[in-house]
Amino acid sequence: MIDVGNLIQGTRIHGSLYRDPSVFARELDAIWYKVWVYVGHESEIPRPGDFVRRAIGLQPVILVRGADGKIRVFFNRCRHRGNMVCHLEHGNAAAFRCPYHGWTYTNNGALIEPTFSEGYDAGLRKEDFGLTPLPRVDSYRGLIFASVSPEGISLDEHLGGVKEFIDLFMDLSPSGEIDVRTGIQKLRYAGNWKFMPENSMEGDYHGPFIHKVAFALHSKRTGFDVSSLYKNEIPDVIRSIPGGHMVEDYRKATIEPPKREPSPARQAYAAALERRYGPQKAAQLLTTIAPLIYVFPNLLYLMTHIRVVQPVSVDETYVYYQPVLLKDAPDEINVGRLRDHEFMFGAAGFISPDDIEIMERNQIALHAAGNEWLFIGRGAHRDKVLPDGSSIGHTMDENHIRGFWQHYGRVMSLPAREPARAGA
Amino acid sequence: MDESRYEEWLDLWSEDALYWVPCNDDDIDPARHVSIIYDDRERLVQRVDRLKSGSVLAQQPKPRMRRLISNIEIVERGSAQLTVHSNFILGVARGGTQQIWAGRSIHELRSQGDSFKIARKTVLLIENDQEIPLLQFLI
Repeated sequence: MIDVGNLIQGTRIHGSLYRDPSVFARELDAIWYKVWVYVGHESEIPRPGDFVRRAIGLQPVILVRGADGKIRVFFNRCRHRGNMVCHLEHGNAAAFRCPYHGWTYTNNGALIEPTFSEGYDAGLRKEDFGLTPLPRVDSYRGLIFASVSPEGISLDEHLGGVKEFIDLFMDLSPSGEIDVRTGIQKLRYAGNWKFMPENSMEGDYHGPFIHKVAFALHSKRTGFDVSSLYKNEIPDVIRSIPGGHMVEDYRKATIEPPKREPSPARQAYAAALERRYGPQKAAQLLTTIAPLIYVFPNLLYLMTHIRVVQPVSVDETYVYYQPVLLKDAPDEINVGRLRDHEFMFGAAGFISPDDIEIMERNQIALHAAGNEWLFIGRGAHRDKVLPDGSSIGHTMDENHIRGFWQHYGRVMSLPAREPARAGA
Repeated sequence: MDESRYEEWLDLWSEDALYWVPCNDDDIDPARHVSIIYDDRERLVQRVDRLKSGSVLAQQPKPRMRRLISNIEIVERGSAQLTVHSNFILGVARGGTQQIWAGRSIHELRSQGDSFKIARKTVLLIENDQEIPLLQFLI
C-alpha cells in the first residue's frame, strides 16, 4: 500500500501525489469509496420517478425519487449479470429495465420479476435481488450526499463548520432555496482532480496573473470591482475548515457597489432579502461576494454555480458546472446569473478556462522530478488557528490548502477498506 | 475565424447581434438553461478584445485551425432576411493533439446595403452534451 505520510510535510507536498497511478487507486478506496460524496441536489428530482445518473469515484450510481417520494441512491448495476440498468443521464421513470435480459426494477429499487421467471428455482426470492442501495444517503439544505461505505461519521459531522457557509450561500435566495435545473456545462481536462479544488479556492492569489483581462472586463460590465481583493490584502478571509473543506469568506471584504442606479428587479430583490433577513444582513449579502466553498472531496460552490469534480484517472478529470438559480428571486436576477455565469465559466468562458489550461500545464510540469516538492507556505508564519481546529488567513494565504492536504493525508493513511463482503 | 482576423469577423455582425452556442441540447430556453456561449454585441466585442489581448492561456501558443463548411442551405428567404443552415467540421491542432469539432450553424442574415450582416448565429455542436475540452477560439 502506498504510504502518503511522508509525501505531505506541512508547507510542502510531493509531486507524485498528482501523478502516481497507485496514489489514484488508493484515493478511490480511501476517499471516494469511503467518505460522503455529493451526488446531486433535490431540485433536480422534484417529482416521483425523477432520476439523474451520477458517479462516485468510478462507480456509476442513480439518484432517484421513488414513487413513495423518498430519495434513494442505487448502484447503477443490474443484479442479474451486472449491466447498467439506467443509461439516460436524467429523466422520469416508473421502472428501470436492464436492456440486457429485461430484468426490471421499480423506481423504489425493488425487482418486479426476473424475466422468464419459470426457469428459476421456486425458492428464488425477488426481495433478495433489488437494486443495491448505497449504504448511506443524507442531505443538507437540498444537497444530497451518499457514501459507498456502510460505516463512518455522519453527514452532519462531515460538514461540520462548512454548514455555516453553505447557509450563507443559500441565503442569497429570498426563499432560502435554490434551483439547479439549469443544465450542466461539462468539461474535461488532462490533469489530476485535486488541482480543481486547490485552484478554485485561491483565485485571489492567481487572479492578478491569469485573470487580469477578464476581471477588468467583468468589473466594467457589472460595476463590481474585485481588484481591491488583491490590491490590499484583507485578513481573515481564507478559511481551512476541519474535514478538508476550504472557504473564502468575504463577509469582511465589502466591494464598492456599482455607481449606477439599481434596476427595478435588483431593487425588488434587495427588498425581498431585507424582508427575510433584516436590513443589516441584507446589506451584507448585497455588498459582499458570497463565500466560495469547497466541500471535501467533490463539491464546490462558486459565485454563480455548483461545481462537481469527477475523477477519471490520475491525469484526467471531468468537471460539471451547474448554475444556481435563486428561488423566488425576480426573473431578471436569475437570467442575469446565467449570463454572468457564461461570462466567467464553462469551456468558452472568460475566466475558468485559463485555470484549466494552468492545470493541464501543471500536470505536465510535475513530471519534472528535479525537485519534487510543491511549496504551499504562504501565510504559514501568521496562521490563526481557532479552537475548533480551523484556521484563517489573508486573502492570498495558503492555509486552506495546507488544511486540505492535512485532511487528505489523514484519510489516505487510515486502514484500507475491508475487502468487499461476500454474499447479500 | 481560422486566421485570427478578429476585427474583420466582428464587422460581419449587426449591432443587435446574438452569438449562441446552446448547452446540453439544441433547443434549450436560454432564460432558464445555461449556454456554452450567449453573446450579445457587447460581449462579442469583449470576446474578441480578450482574444486579441494575448492573455488567453489556451491561445499560447496559438492553435492552428482550419474548418470546412458544407451542406449550405437557404431555408428561409424574406425581403430583407435570410436564414441559412450549414454543417461544419473544424480541426484544432495544439499541444500535440488534434481536436475535431463538428456541428450545424444557423445564420440569420439581414441585408444591409448591397451585402448582409449576421444578426444571429447559432452553433449546434454535436458534442454539446459531452465533456468537452476548452473552447477558447471562435466556433
